[in-house]
Amino acid sequence: MRKHLIHGLTSGIVFGIITVFLLLIGFLSTIADLLLVAINIKSLESAGLSAQTLNLLLFLGLLGVFTGIRALRGAEPLSWVQAILSSTLAGLVHGLIAGSAGFILGTLTDNGVKLTTYLSAMLPQTVNLYILNRAPLDGATSLLLLFTLTGLVGGLIAKGLGSRKVGERAGAFWQTTVTSVTELPAIKRVQSSPITRYVIYGILLLIVFLLPQRLGQYWNYTVGTVGIYVLLGLGLNIVVGLAGLLDLGYVAFFAIGAYTVALMTAPEPHALGINFWVALLSGLVLAALAGILLGVPVLRMRGDYLAIVTLGFGEIIRVLSRSDLLTPFTGGPRGVRDIAGPTIFGKPFNSDIDFVYLITLAVILIIFITNRLQNSRVGRAWVAMREDETVAQAMGIDTMKAKLLAFSIGAAFAGVGGVLFASRNQFTGPEDHNLMVSINVLALVIVGGMGSIPGVIAGAFVLKGLPEVLRQLENFRILAFGALLVVMMIWRPEGLIPSARRQLEMHGEEPPPEEVIQQVTKPASAEVES
Amino acid sequence: MAFLEVHDVHTYYGNIHALKGISLTVERGEIVTLIGGNGAGKTTTLRTICGLLKPRRGKVILDGEDLADFKTHQIVYKGVAMVPEGRGVFARLTVEENLDLGAYSRNDRATYASDLERVFGLFPRLKERRKQVAGTLSGGEQQMLAIGRALMAHPRILLLDEPSMGLAPILVEGIFDTIKDINREGTTILLVEQNALMALSIASRGYVLQTGQIVLQDSAENLQANEMVQKAYLGIE
Ligand SMILES: Nc1ncnc2c1ncn2[C@@H]1O[C@H](COP(=O)(O)OP(=O)(O)OP(=O)(O)O)[C@@H](O)[C@H]1O
Ligand SMILES: [Mg+2]
Repeated sequence: MRKHLIHGLTSGIVFGIITVFLLLIGFLSTIADLLLVAINIKSLESAGLSAQTLNLLLFLGLLGVFTGIRALRGAEPLSWVQAILSSTLAGLVHGLIAGSAGFILGTLTDNGVKLTTYLSAMLPQTVNLYILNRAPLDGATSLLLLFTLTGLVGGLIAKGLGSRKVGERAGAFWQTTVTSVTELPAIKRVQSSPITRYVIYGILLLIVFLLPQRLGQYWNYTVGTVGIYVLLGLGLNIVVGLAGLLDLGYVAFFAIGAYTVALMTAPEPHALGINFWVALLSGLVLAALAGILLGVPVLRMRGDYLAIVTLGFGEIIRVLSRSDLLTPFTGGPRGVRDIAGPTIFGKPFNSDIDFVYLITLAVILIIFITNRLQNSRVGRAWVAMREDETVAQAMGIDTMKAKLLAFSIGAAFAGVGGVLFASRNQFTGPEDHNLMVSINVLALVIVGGMGSIPGVIAGAFVLKGLPEVLRQLENFRILAFGALLVVMMIWRPEGLIPSARRQLEMHGEEPPPEEVIQQVTKPASAEVES
Repeated sequence: MAFLEVHDVHTYYGNIHALKGISLTVERGEIVTLIGGNGAGKTTTLRTICGLLKPRRGKVILDGEDLADFKTHQIVYKGVAMVPEGRGVFARLTVEENLDLGAYSRNDRATYASDLERVFGLFPRLKERRKQVAGTLSGGEQQMLAIGRALMAHPRILLLDEPSMGLAPILVEGIFDTIKDINREGTTILLVEQNALMALSIASRGYVLQTGQIVLQDSAENLQANEMVQKAYLGIE
C-alpha cells in the first residue's frame, strides 16, 4: 500500500510543479486564448462562466486526469481501492500545490503587489483567470477540488483500461500503426525513390521559405540568431566532434569574420565601402588563414593544453580589438556601427527577415559541405585520429594535416557566422566576442550530440531559442534554463540527437542496433550483404 | 643489402636510455623474430622503425633508404605496417571501418575489394562480424582484426608486436599459422614476442634483446638449442 501512496505522491508533486511552471511562463493564459478560437460559446457567459475560463478548466482537467493515470504507472498489481486512494492522493497533492500558488499570487495581486516586476507574464488578469475570477481562497479551493476529482477520474480510467498499461498500450498501438504503414510495399518503394526525397526536401524548403513571413520581427531576429549559432555549431562540431580537438577560443574566428565585414563596409573608422559579398568571402578566407596560423604551433599539443592555449587566443583577439593601441583601426571599445548588408539586384537586403533567408541558405550550404566531408577520406582520417592518434599515424594518416584542415574549416564556418552576425546587427564590438560565445557553442554541440548534424541544430534551438521562450520568467530565466540543461544532460547524456556512434558509446550495455544483432546471431545471413 | 637494416640505434624516452645501440637486419621474404622479457625494449624498437620515435643516434634503413627524415605516415606509404602492442584496434568503429582505415595509404581503391576478400579468407571470423564494433570483439578476434587491418595496406614488411599476448594457446597456434601463410604469400615479417617457443618455431632467424641491447643472435634452430635461451625464455631448466 505504501508503494502506491508514494507513487501517487510523486505524481502529484511532479504535475503540481508542471502546472505552476506553465502558469508562471504565461502558457496557461496563452492556451486559454488559443482554445478560445475553437470553443466560443456565448451562452456559457450567461451561466457565469467565460469561454476563457472554460478553456482553462478543460486544459487543467486534462492535466489532472494525467496526474491520476501517472500515479498508477509502475505500481502493478493493484486493487480498485489502491487505485482510487493513490490517484486521489495524487490529485489532492497536485491541487494543493496548484491551489497554493493561486492563493499566494492572488493575495499578492489583491494587495497591489506588482508581480510583473519579477514575472512578466503575471498580469493581474492572468492571475485572476487562473483563480477562476474568484477570491483567492475560493479560487484555490476550486482548483484543489478540480484536481482531486480529475485525479480520481484519471485513476479510474487507468484502472478500468488495465491500469499502468494505458500509456504503454497507446505507445504500442502507435508503434504498430506506424510500422504497419511504413512496412507497406508502396511506402517502401516511395521511401527509397529519390523523387520522394526531393519532394520532402521541397516541402521543407517551402516551410523554411514561408515561415519567416509569418513570424514577425522579434522571432525572426531570434531565429536568425539561432541560425548563426547553427553555423558556429557545425564548424565547432568538425573541430571537436569529428577531429576531437578541444577548442575553447572558437569565438576568435567569429570575431575575425565580424571585424572583417565591419572594417570593410562601415563608414567609420575606414570608409572603405567594399561590397558585402567581397567582405563575406574575405571573412571566410581570413578566418581560415587565422585557423592555420594558430593551428601550426598549437596543434602539436594534446587535450587540456590545446584547450587552454585556444582559450587564451580567443581572449587575445577580444582584448586587442578593444585596446587603445588599435582603437583607430578597430573602433575600440565602442565598436563599429552602420555595417553594410548585402544588396541583391540593387535592392538592399537587410531586414531581419532577409537575413533569416540568407542565414538559412548558409546553413544549408554548410550542412551539405559537412556531410560531404564526413564521408570523405579526410572524414575517415578525423575519426581515426579522434579514436587513437598514434594508431592513426600508423595507418598512414598525416595527423598534423588532418588537424589543420579541421581547424581551418571550422574557423572558416565561424568566420561566415561572424560576417552574417555583424552585418545583420549592423554593429559589432568587443563585447559581442566574449568567452561566453565559445562556451555557448561548445555547450550546444554537447547538448545536441557531438558529431551529429541534426544534433547541432537541435542544440542551437535549445540553447539560443529556449532562453527567448523563457523570457517570460524574467529574472528566473537563467535559473530555469540551467535547471532544464541539467535535467537534459541527466536524461540524455549523449545529447539530444546523438550520432549513432556516440549513442553506442554511452549506452554500451544496451543491446546494439538491430543490424548488429542480426550479424551476431545469424552469421549465415552475412553472405547476403547489401 | 638487407631489406630492413637497423644500425646502432639509440632511442631515449626523455632521460631514459631505452635502446642502447641496437643493430639488426631483415632480409626480403624472411621471418625474423625479436625475443626478450618485459621492458627489454622490443616495442621501442618497432616504434623506432616506423618513425613514432626518432633515434638519437644510429640509422634505420629500408630498402637502401635512410628513414631519418620521414614521419610515420610517410614510412607507412613506403610499405611498413605495424600491428601495435595490445592490438590497438579502433574500438568504437566497426570491423569493416577498421579494415577500411587499414587501406588508407592505398591510393588505388581498385584492389580494395580483393584485399578485403583476402583478409576475410585468412580470417573468416571477421567476415561474420564485419558490422560489429571492434571493441566488442574477443581478444583473439581483435588480434585478427589488427593483423587484417595491417594487411589492407599491402605492406612490404609487417611489424608484429606480441600477437600472442593474452590469447589461449590454441588461438596462438592459429594466429601463428596465419602469420606463416602471410609470409609465404610474400610479406617480410619482423615478429616481436615473449613467447619464444612459438616465435622461434616459425622464424628463420632470431635476436635476443635484454635491457636495450642485443645479447644474442643466431638462426632459429640454434637459438632453440641455446642453453641461455632455454633457461630464460623457454622455461626449460
Ligand atoms: N613512454 C615511455 N616513457 C618512458 N619510458 C618508457 C616509455 N615506454 C617505454 N619505456 C621504457 O623503455 C623500456 C623499454 O620498453 P618497451 O615497451 O620497449 O619494452 P618491451 O620489450 O616492449 O616490453 P613488454 O614485453 O613488456 O612489452 C622500459 O624500461 C620502459 O619502462
Ligand atoms: Mg612491448
